[in-house]
Amino acid sequence: MGIGKVAAIACATLFVSSSSDSDSPDAHSPENPGVFIMGVDGMDPVILSRLIDTGKMPNFQGLAREGSYQSLATSDPPQSPVAWSNFVTGMNPGGHGIFDFMHRDPATYAPVSSATRAPEKAGSALHLFGYVFPLSGSDPENNRGGTPWWDALIAGGVDVEVYRIPGNFPTPESKAKVLDGMGTSDLRGGFGTYTLYTDAAVEKDDPKGDIQFVTVHDLDLDGTPDTVTSILRGPPDLFHLEPGQVPREGDYLTIGLTVHIDPVAAVSVVEIAGQRVLIRQGEWSDWVEVTFDLLPMGIMPVSGAVRFYAKQLRPQFQLYVSPVNISAAKPHTPVTSPDDFVEDLFAEVGFFYTQGMPEEQEALKDGVFDEDDYLKQVALVQEDTRRLLDLALTRFEPGDATFMYFSDIDLQSHMLWRHKDPKYPNAPDHPAYDAAISPGHTRDIENLYRDVDAALGEVRRRLPPGTLLIVMSDHGFQPFSRDVHLNAWLRENGYLVMKPGKTTGYTFGDDVDWTQTRAYGIGFNGLYLNLAGREAQGIVDPADADALMSEIARGLETFTDPDRGEGVVLRVDRSAEIYSGPRIGEGPDLLVGYNVGYGCSDQSTLGEITERVLEDNTSRWSGSHLMAAEVVPGVLLVNRKLSSDGHDLTDLTATLLSHYDIEPLPGMIGEPIL
Amino acid sequence: MQTYNDVAGAIFDFLLAPFGHDFALFDLVLWPAVMGVAALQVYKHVSNQRAIARVKKQISMHLLEIRLFRNDIAQVLKSTGAILVKNTVYIGHNLLPMAVMLVPMVAVMVQLVAHYAYAPSRPGSVELLHLTLAPTASVSPRDVSLKLPPGVTLDAPAVRTADGQVFWRVRAEQPGDHVLQVSVGGEIFEKGWAVGGEPRKVPVKRLRSWEALLYPGEAAIPSGAPVLSLELGMNVRPLAYLPDGELGILIWAMVLSMLAGFALKDLFGVTL
Repeated sequence: MGIGKVAAIACATLFVSSSSDSDSPDAHSPENPGVFIMGVDGMDPVILSRLIDTGKMPNFQGLAREGSYQSLATSDPPQSPVAWSNFVTGMNPGGHGIFDFMHRDPATYAPVSSATRAPEKAGSALHLFGYVFPLSGSDPENNRGGTPWWDALIAGGVDVEVYRIPGNFPTPESKAKVLDGMGTSDLRGGFGTYTLYTDAAVEKDDPKGDIQFVTVHDLDLDGTPDTVTSILRGPPDLFHLEPGQVPREGDYLTIGLTVHIDPVAAVSVVEIAGQRVLIRQGEWSDWVEVTFDLLPMGIMPVSGAVRFYAKQLRPQFQLYVSPVNISAAKPHTPVTSPDDFVEDLFAEVGFFYTQGMPEEQEALKDGVFDEDDYLKQVALVQEDTRRLLDLALTRFEPGDATFMYFSDIDLQSHMLWRHKDPKYPNAPDHPAYDAAISPGHTRDIENLYRDVDAALGEVRRRLPPGTLLIVMSDHGFQPFSRDVHLNAWLRENGYLVMKPGKTTGYTFGDDVDWTQTRAYGIGFNGLYLNLAGREAQGIVDPADADALMSEIARGLETFTDPDRGEGVVLRVDRSAEIYSGPRIGEGPDLLVGYNVGYGCSDQSTLGEITERVLEDNTSRWSGSHLMAAEVVPGVLLVNRKLSSDGHDLTDLTATLLSHYDIEPLPGMIGEPIL
Repeated sequence: MQTYNDVAGAIFDFLLAPFGHDFALFDLVLWPAVMGVAALQVYKHVSNQRAIARVKKQISMHLLEIRLFRNDIAQVLKSTGAILVKNTVYIGHNLLPMAVMLVPMVAVMVQLVAHYAYAPSRPGSVELLHLTLAPTASVSPRDVSLKLPPGVTLDAPAVRTADGQVFWRVRAEQPGDHVLQVSVGGEIFEKGWAVGGEPRKVPVKRLRSWEALLYPGEAAIPSGAPVLSLELGMNVRPLAYLPDGELGILIWAMVLSMLAGFALKDLFGVTL
């Protein structure tokens, strides 16, 4: 009997559904109605106002009428990682240490991601049976300093849930339930490497994706090609890489993939990792979990999840595979805090995009996707957002603090602006305007705004009465029609000197004569002095830095576009003057605030020195906000009457804390808006 | 093969789920425990109990030698070698009873899997129906067609592969125990699909080889038929703290039967 009893209890534990919530009892005050924040990346006040005025955003109109609507000052520079870090920590970059998408390594002059603080040095390793076993070293850490507002709220007894917050990967430890957003890598360690299997040529010479040229074989010799076999690349083969070694193409784990194409209908079956999915031409599959083995016999599996898109099966073969997302079912690295929050999410909504910027804009940039393909994929991301929003609203209780992030407007404003300027209706055509495609996509961005309006309607309908509702964006948008190659401008003006015989090249490598170079650019708005004692080959005496910065700033602020007669740069700020906090010294010396329509080119951002200084931006990346902060403010809507305006992102952080009567943390600079 | 499945199915359909499939716990405790007790009896009568006791005693003795003479490397190595030899002898004594126990234990576990590893599909769900033609079949994949009952619709055209497979994506519109009919060169093969409703024994796959013994939820495909297998993606039953579906049930049954065996060995006077 004893055994039976024990077994029965064990069984009851094992087979009873695991729906029980391990939340501790509510610690927040029941009198506090709580707060719900919708963070809409890239929502622009000019576009929003026009849509409200024309009655196309009824829920935003209702919220503005009921409470307050004003513009919200963004960060300087107005880049998402910086702006969201301001919001998360209530500090400016001098405090939290995120100055740009890209920072630079002063030892090598190479661009490095701002998201991660890399280990100081690679650890040692044991070589055994052909494998490399690391013996020391540490995992990469999140580079954002300061204390997130959710940690302050949790410490104050508030239940907090944060969905897809940018810049939170690698995931810092926290008791708050936080799902990482923008900046979360895919399984390969990048920010989204897609795979295309094709037997046709691709548009770009240097696509960002993994292009696999395949042959469609005719296995049954009936005259109709029917079968493709290839591989899917997953995470780096870590046990065959030396510590710190950057993986090359052959250094990734792979699994086999077979595609069967029906001889008659435009439909196929993809077989991968023991699973099969049937997809029609033009259709996306559901998620497929794929597992890569780091060690033999499944000792150390790494799970990912992918979706397939049968772009074309015949006459040309083009099968697209999404970047291998970290599996929400079995993440090998945390994408939430606490680690097991992702299990709750997976149990409720199944697989979802864990990749930080899930809209596959690289495929559109590369011409692998056309607009219709892209928007089809965007709709999948929106579906994810809707499911997570529904879950967040279901879990929300009076007194809670919940944040929900919406990515679509930002990425699609970047990608689709060229078709029809949504901000300036009479603007001339963008250089990347395509008469064959653009007329069919003139309302795409407007439609995305209206989708967010629908989400707001759902939020307003379901929130408990009295809940403080804040809708905010990190920045607005402007057209991006002219590429500025900042490093080329520095070269032309004698601040950056190339080695003899070279006019182009990279800041890293062997192209620049650092013994004569006084300044260089890396990042979308950053400009660094080649400062003695800081940069590896620095020559600028710190005593001369002030004069040099003034000289460069004057030069840039008077820099005129010869083709348009417009100023290229609105203003140049000095980090030391506009930032506060202990990490000022890590950032650029100068921040270049570009005029409307201008922005730093991708090449210069990544340290390239090009031939030309200015040129038309013919890329599909046609809208931007990487300019002077004052030309791209965000929006702020609150369901309370505000008595003042001129608020910025750090004020919202202060507001969240004051809403729960929590004192501001050291270093926070904002003031409550209520 | 089919006869065995019919008989075993009739017996276990009667024995299993006396309180319904909602009370899986009853069967999943009772039958592994019964298996453990039955295994003890088999072990007691089939194995050489004296020899097993003797070899276990010898292993203990050599372990004691290692402890007593741990400073004498030569003795430690000698005793370790002896332990390895005696362990091999011990395993040898276990082979016959294991072989005898294997068949009935597999039979019971197969029935537990058939009843509890899968759940009916949810209405609205989409699954893949997969037919594999026998290599010796004279029909082509193009001669294969599907007839659907009311309540099930085709979600995408069929894919016929060069290596003799046919796939259909089917959608369960209505709950029910549906029967899908696949015509292969004019010969009809049926495939069940349990959709919605209470937990119950659900059909998973129809197989032609000995593997059909492992899936007694549906009739085996007759030998000589042009079809090798007919499978439908099924909804595996989630099991907390265990792998879902078949593996979870198998691990659970094995572990629980072993626990029962070890717990009751003294009661039944069995030396393991």
